[in-house]
Amino acid sequence: MANTETALKEATTVIDGALGAALVDYTSGMALGTIGGGKDLDLTVAAAGNTDVVRAKVRTMEMLGLQEEIEDILITLGTQYHLIRLLKGRGANGLFLYLALDKQRANLAMARHQLKKIEAELEI
Amino acid sequence: MSARAAGAVVSPMLLRLAREHATGALIRDHGTLYLVDGRVAHARSPVAPGADVLLTAGGRQPRQGRISAGELEICHLGALFDAAFFALAPGRGPARFQYGAVHGTPAAPAVRPVPAADIERETLRRRELLDTVWPYPAVDAAPVVPRPAAPGQTVTPRQRDLLAHADGLRTPAQLAWALGRPAFHVLLEIRRLAAAGLVTTPPEPAPPVPYEAMTHGAVPYRAVPREPPLHDPAGFAPEPDIALLRRLRDALEAHL
Repeated sequence: MANTETALKEATTVIDGALGAALVDYTSGMALGTIGGGKDLDLTVAAAGNTDVVRAKVRTMEMLGLQEEIEDILITLGTQYHLIRLLKGRGANGLFLYLALDKQRANLAMARHQLKKIEAELEI
Repeated sequence: MSARAAGAVVSPMLLRLAREHATGALIRDHGTLYLVDGRVAHARSPVAPGADVLLTAGGRQPRQGRISAGELEICHLGALFDAAFFALAPGRGPARFQYGAVHGTPAAPAVRPVPAADIERETLRRRELLDTVWPYPAVDAAPVVPRPAAPGQTVTPRQRDLLAHADGLRTPAQLAWALGRPAFHVLLEIRRLAAAGLVTTPPEPAPPVPYEAMTHGAVPYRAVPREPPLHDPAGFAPEPDIALLRRLRDALEAHL
């Protein structure tokens, strides 16, 4: 059992190449917690903006009639990976974990696996 | 954006109290913020369901130890920002500050006090977000009246749930209480639904809500008053509303 602060701390210390992480409410776009980031990566702005990414995908799936749930969304930049993991669970209505990774140092498969583990520990 | 660029401040008094590291209760028309050492430890508004309501919404019982620490924290934090948003809505009277007052919740919430600047920033962001989605604050306080969907038009599961509970009488705040969702979430979804034409937009701006009515679920939040009086967005305006026409064009193009 972990609170959000320890979960986010774990995300940035355990996951290689992590630049910052945020726990985001995707209805309002508010970051409930952030860690890392800095002047190059404003995580509260990233949180609000990526909310639109998630909403657009959820809407598209409705339009396509897909009955599945989104596990994660990967955005690949020239030098970074941005990973969005939608949280499941009774209390996780509309939350996602957002993780920015340095592409040079990160192992994507490992990062996805570890993010999944952190979600489980958060026990939402 | 414009409000932020102009250096808009939600509550100068809140920022001053934060600088003073004050402890006490900031009492405003639409709710109360409880400060501890200049940080916001708790917020209450008659419009926003408290954490207890949010937690029990899904039939969960916080007192039976079935809620994890993570969920409890997130729920309390969400409820705090939600109540603060409505408490900081423009009021008519001056705010009061009771030095030393603390909130008397017996089960102290597991949430760290939030810096006042964070509350300010988030409240401004939320106001802007509402107006970006659909700049008609009248929908915030009016009973939610669903409209039939266009052929092929879809809604998200959460919006569908909201529409199913909209009986033409409940206001967004009353829907929030009924569904156990944060009031701002419902406000935002209703504006989105109104923008999509799935909920009617009242032709007139909502009349000022007397404070007594608020405790019965009306929504006090009103965005910054707009200079030209609001017209019926579905009717004909005396002059073409260029911004609205642009939005319409963008929305139509987005559906191509």
